[in-house]
Amino acid sequence: MSAKVVSRQRGAGQHPARRRRRRDPWVIGCYVAVAVFLVWVLVPIVQMVLTSFKSTYAIFQPTIHLNFAPTMANYETVFGKLDFLRNVLNSCLIAGVSTAIALTLGVPAGYALCRLNIRFEEAWAQGILLARMVPAVTLMVPMYVLMSKASLLGSYWGVILAHTSFELPLVIWMMRSFFLDVPPALEEAAMIDGASRFRVFWQIAVPLTGPGISVTAILSILLSWNEFLFALVLGGRGTQTAPIAVSKFVGINIDWGGSMAAATIALVPIFVMGLAVQKFLVRGLTMGAVKE
Amino acid sequence: MAASSVTVDPGGRRQRRAFGHRVSGRLLGMGMLLPAAAMLTVVIIIPIVYSAVLSTAEWGLTDMNGDKPFVGFTNFERLWSDPDIRKSLINTFIFVVASVGTEVAVGFVIANALFEVKIGKRFANALILLPMMTTPVVTGLVWRYLLDPQFGLLSQVMRGAGSAGGMDWFGSQKLALPALILIDFWQWTPFCVLVLHAGMLSIPEHLFEAARIDGASRIQIIKAIMIPALVPQFLLVLLFRTMDTFRVFDTVFLLTKGGPARATETVGFFNYKTGFEYFDMGYAMAQSIMMLVAILLFSVPYIRLLRKRSMI
Repeated sequence: MSAKVVSRQRGAGQHPARRRRRRDPWVIGCYVAVAVFLVWVLVPIVQMVLTSFKSTYAIFQPTIHLNFAPTMANYETVFGKLDFLRNVLNSCLIAGVSTAIALTLGVPAGYALCRLNIRFEEAWAQGILLARMVPAVTLMVPMYVLMSKASLLGSYWGVILAHTSFELPLVIWMMRSFFLDVPPALEEAAMIDGASRFRVFWQIAVPLTGPGISVTAILSILLSWNEFLFALVLGGRGTQTAPIAVSKFVGINIDWGGSMAAATIALVPIFVMGLAVQKFLVRGLTMGAVKE
Repeated sequence: MAASSVTVDPGGRRQRRAFGHRVSGRLLGMGMLLPAAAMLTVVIIIPIVYSAVLSTAEWGLTDMNGDKPFVGFTNFERLWSDPDIRKSLINTFIFVVASVGTEVAVGFVIANALFEVKIGKRFANALILLPMMTTPVVTGLVWRYLLDPQFGLLSQVMRGAGSAGGMDWFGSQKLALPALILIDFWQWTPFCVLVLHAGMLSIPEHLFEAARIDGASRIQIIKAIMIPALVPQFLLVLLFRTMDTFRVFDTVFLLTKGGPARATETVGFFNYKTGFEYFDMGYAMAQSIMMLVAILLFSVPYIRLLRKRSMI
């Protein structure tokens, strides 16, 4: 193991036995760089959580103020006066239902695209990838008009349908990459035993990719949970999601304590889910391109 | 029905021996794909076609069911001559180039550093993921707080160091766009780190060994082995980051509303404003179409390239 961490050694005459781990300035520099980067990444998150437990007095200090008495007052405001729980439940409902739709339609489609030799497979695949590239901003205006004609404006269904526009391509593409990872031998064996193609899909491929389906579901929920534009334009007062409620804090006088408490509550579920699938997060964000 | 299509299908004949259920498989395949395709048609293709059609009309949001006189390509001609859209394109261009450039450059440096780290690597990996998961609106809010001229962490630190206090980032024409770039940088540099790092891990170890035996320096190894081997990963992060920064909306809407004095008005936000503040729906749809065409012109060659290298 330590032989792999070769310190700076020049010349071809180095004997492997002499490769010891030395205090290589390069490696030390790397540790420092990663540590600095981690601090940079963490400071905003730590500050958010700390502030959510601060009293107004502690927040309005001119200099850094760490020995404050923690208070739950901000959380009480957010859950009590502002009914933030309602927004969290809206987010759960929209993310849950839209993900269920995306999985119901997307898992079979992903399988069809990798195993069932459909015509123009590559064209379908690229088309679905392009669908993922269509920016929400370009769909926002026509969707608003169409949803208002269908009387879906301000309802859960409007936002749910809009969210499937980016979840479904993700699910199809991710599931395709998970199905491709399954060795075809098992499916072929079942087919030789006379199982129909659909039974092979339902009773062999789906159970084998169970973990992949859960990962895909979580990624889809994350995307929906974080989405802002569709929820803003298509949602109404009753369907306000957590991000919309968080955005309402920004105004002339921002309630920093309350807004940071709401932000913390909005982040806890996705951090928990995201860390549960951390190995696959980058894979999901690159549509299956990066497999760690 | 299934049997009749066997005879006209050359691909089916080729592999019939390997897969006895091939043709029924193909029908089943279409049956499994079409519901998803229908849904994508409803939520993506119909809105796009609808906006393409109505981008040739003049109509306002206020009378959605009123007359929509056909005005040809007037709305597209306006795109050419509108100084506001030009300004928003310039802002977007600066935002995209500065964000993506710094994210990829710093991402590469940190990925190299992470590559050497052995102690606590899993922990570091988990922490690096956090910004990518953070809700963009929350990211914007937290940074609005950190950069607040009175109570923000930055101004507290500066006061502690004896300075007068913080700057009003979002109220300044010069600093507002850099502040939005900084926020994007915080949120998405980890993505570049992890993609490039995953690419580094897939480079065969013997290449590094051979280079070391030949006495190559670290910098030479990075230049001669790392960078050429990581071309696909660089393409990948460039594609995803460029597309995502081009459509930036959440933080602009939340923090600056395009101001001060249009200093942070990006195309995405201008599109929103045209539709939902000026109620100029025909023009807004022409803008949507323009953005879509720009995204497709940019991403289609990329996707082709990446598919050829079987990256995605």
